[in-house]
Amino acid sequence: MTQVKAWASYLLPKIGQFLFVVVATYTLVFVLVHFLPGDPLIAALAAKGGASTVIDPAELDALRVQYGLDGTLWQQYFGHLVAAAQGDLGVSISTGVPVTEMIARAFPFSVQIASLALLFGVTSAVLITFLAYAAPWPWLRQLLLQIPPFGIAVPAFLSGLLLISVFAFALGWLPSAGARSFDAAILPAITLALPVGALFFQVFSSAVLEAQNSPYVFTAVAKGVPPRRIFTKHLLRNALLPSITILGLLIGYLAGGTAVVETVFSRDGIGRMTVNAVLARDINVIQGVVLVVGAIYALVNLLVDVAYGFIDPRTRIGGGVPSRARLGAKK
Amino acid sequence: MNSPKNRVLRWGIAPVGALAALGLLASCAAGPAASPKTDITMAVTGDPVCLDPQQVTLTTALNIGRQVVDSLIDQDAETGELVPWLAESWETNDDLTEFTFELRDDVTFSDETALTADTVVKNLDALFEMGSTASLASQYLAGYEGSTAVDENTVTVNFESSNAQFLQGASTITLGLVSDATTELSAEDRCQTVVGTGPFTIDSYVANDSVVIAKRVGYDWASELRGHSGEALVDTVTFPITPEAGVRTGGLQTGEFDIIQDLPAVDETRFDTADYNIYARGNPGMPTSLVPNTTRPVVSDEIVRKAMLLATDRAEITALTGSSQSQPASSALSSATPGYSSQEDAMAYDLDAATALLDDNGWVVGSDGIREKDGQRLTMSVTAFYGQDVLEATQIQLAKAGIDLQLNIVTAGDFFGAIATGDYDFLSASLTRTDPDVLRVTFSKDAVSKWAIIDDAELESLLTEQATTADTTERTALIAEIQEMIIDRAYLIPLLEVAQVHASTANVSGLTFDSSSRLIMYDVSVSE
Repeated sequence: MTQVKAWASYLLPKIGQFLFVVVATYTLVFVLVHFLPGDPLIAALAAKGGASTVIDPAELDALRVQYGLDGTLWQQYFGHLVAAAQGDLGVSISTGVPVTEMIARAFPFSVQIASLALLFGVTSAVLITFLAYAAPWPWLRQLLLQIPPFGIAVPAFLSGLLLISVFAFALGWLPSAGARSFDAAILPAITLALPVGALFFQVFSSAVLEAQNSPYVFTAVAKGVPPRRIFTKHLLRNALLPSITILGLLIGYLAGGTAVVETVFSRDGIGRMTVNAVLARDINVIQGVVLVVGAIYALVNLLVDVAYGFIDPRTRIGGGVPSRARLGAKK
Repeated sequence: MNSPKNRVLRWGIAPVGALAALGLLASCAAGPAASPKTDITMAVTGDPVCLDPQQVTLTTALNIGRQVVDSLIDQDAETGELVPWLAESWETNDDLTEFTFELRDDVTFSDETALTADTVVKNLDALFEMGSTASLASQYLAGYEGSTAVDENTVTVNFESSNAQFLQGASTITLGLVSDATTELSAEDRCQTVVGTGPFTIDSYVANDSVVIAKRVGYDWASELRGHSGEALVDTVTFPITPEAGVRTGGLQTGEFDIIQDLPAVDETRFDTADYNIYARGNPGMPTSLVPNTTRPVVSDEIVRKAMLLATDRAEITALTGSSQSQPASSALSSATPGYSSQEDAMAYDLDAATALLDDNGWVVGSDGIREKDGQRLTMSVTAFYGQDVLEATQIQLAKAGIDLQLNIVTAGDFFGAIATGDYDFLSASLTRTDPDVLRVTFSKDAVSKWAIIDDAELESLLTEQATTADTTERTALIAEIQEMIIDRAYLIPLLEVAQVHASTANVSGLTFDSSSRLIMYDVSVSE
């Protein structure tokens, strides 16, 4: 019973926090979109009519009603919020397709490359950290530790085009574009994995290398425990908390950060859909996407918090002590 | 305790293992072997967004839609001559308010329904109903009164006032015919699928990914302008949506794509070899120009506009920003438009004449190089939603004459917002139309799209007159007179003729342009 109570007092504020983040995101986007200059309806008409666009005021009013853009700002704000809570994100102004349908279509493609990127990024970060840990010479260790920052330094459109020219055009191993087959996801995933893996590496490797100097590792080495066992049994576990935190942030980044990669690789996906929507001032799509991405981000962070409770009971028993504060206070 | 040797060994094994795993992954993913070329691929630049060719004006959507939808009549891209297509013959009354079409009796839509006079009535009525949702069509149908099915295969279309551009409009994809069932759908639903009488049908459309069209079995009503008759020569055409130009050109080189849309100007020399074909055609209509609002203070001064016309070096603009395939702009109409008459001499680049003109009229060069007159600086802005490079080149050229052109690059929505409120000095854009009536659309006070703001009764009466003149020779003379007047009074500063430039591998043949510079793939074949 006390266990349930402890969990409840640990979780309830975090769920409240989750709801707050989602509503705040919606509010912020609503304000931004409505205070940008220009009329989204004229933008949508221009996207379809090109240079032949004609603007008829009476028709604009009719379209405003059709897309739920009539009434005062407050009416629109609460109207869209209530509809969104019921799972209705409205209709795209430029394509006429329901926003939920568009997101459902594009989402799996983004999830595909994002999860592959996470897999590639984390695996290579752990591998390089292990190699650096086990490196027999200090210069080699230093060299290995310097490699991952390149992943952040090289912009995705450049690394993406390089990968395409080598693996698609020169070698012909993988397709250059599209989302039609599974192998088309590999190159975009590698492109995304570079910055993701590098960020993860920074946190993970410093946690591992810091723990390497701690007394219990010294004891383990003295007892003759092999390095690989020290790495997996002792160091990995201690690096888990900060790693999960950064993982939560990275998933949030991936949920919205796929736009460039999706454009370079001509893939459908959430990122490219957002870019198109912003260019066309398609506010229903922009709001829908940001709401969904915001909710995912908040959800991942909620899960990270729950994971903390499992991994490290101290965060849970302590009651309402915010886990991040504990992390920040680590020596 | 591990020996150092052991550690080195262990350290070395890991990357080898990782590489081996990567190699395994790559070999699983090796591409398929070359397929027989009855299924071809054309990389396009962007999502068509809406497949209904009656509603959209995006080049990508039209290049795909043209294969699926046929029109009443066809227009020879070279001579401008109108020839039969779905209509065997047609006639008009003297004041161009009534058009009668005699339809072929053997045409069916891909949903197996027959093309009848009633279908044409439903198409035009539905289009007129859509209004500015189908903006270009609504302009072709300006003054539409209604149409009647006289009998099974005869249809009469009536207008309240003369409509000289309708016949030419009937040859464009914008007034292409869709099935009865399609006309009954909402504008949004029509965007997702379209049923036409064309040589291909929409097989699949995955937004932001690809469009696939498949050969229509039993097609036998191509116009006489095509290279063969009967069914199309390839089975399917896949259009992967490939926004990145480097991926399109790379894919063309490796054979992943047979044809690519929009070959960038910088790549033209690379593909100008025996291994590739380059296809280029100027867009008919109005070239990219500065379109004036003559109610604005400085813009209203004809001397200033004339100086601008003389101070723009169109040959240089084309060399800097255009395709090597295109000509410098030389009139208010582009050279691919029927009725074009060159004004090259009247608007030849002459910086000295431009500065002299401004000097003589009291525009004095100020301390910062910009001219002034009675405390008024010679500065103007241009509102545009594309073509920044063209405008930057123009800006630099005009600055040499002491004219300050400020660039105001906005979104398409804001551009048309500015038009709706009349809040601009100059607009910059091009307007693609296959009929010289584009001049009326751009310059007439009564045109729905109203770009230029000009108060000139003489010009207005000429614009109205050409729109009601049925006689071709007479109309061509009027169109020539209008072009001369526009350049003489500097009502337009033409900058660049826009060209459609595509490329294919050398084994592709039969790819042609229609009169509005959209692609026709009916005759396309690809040899092994």
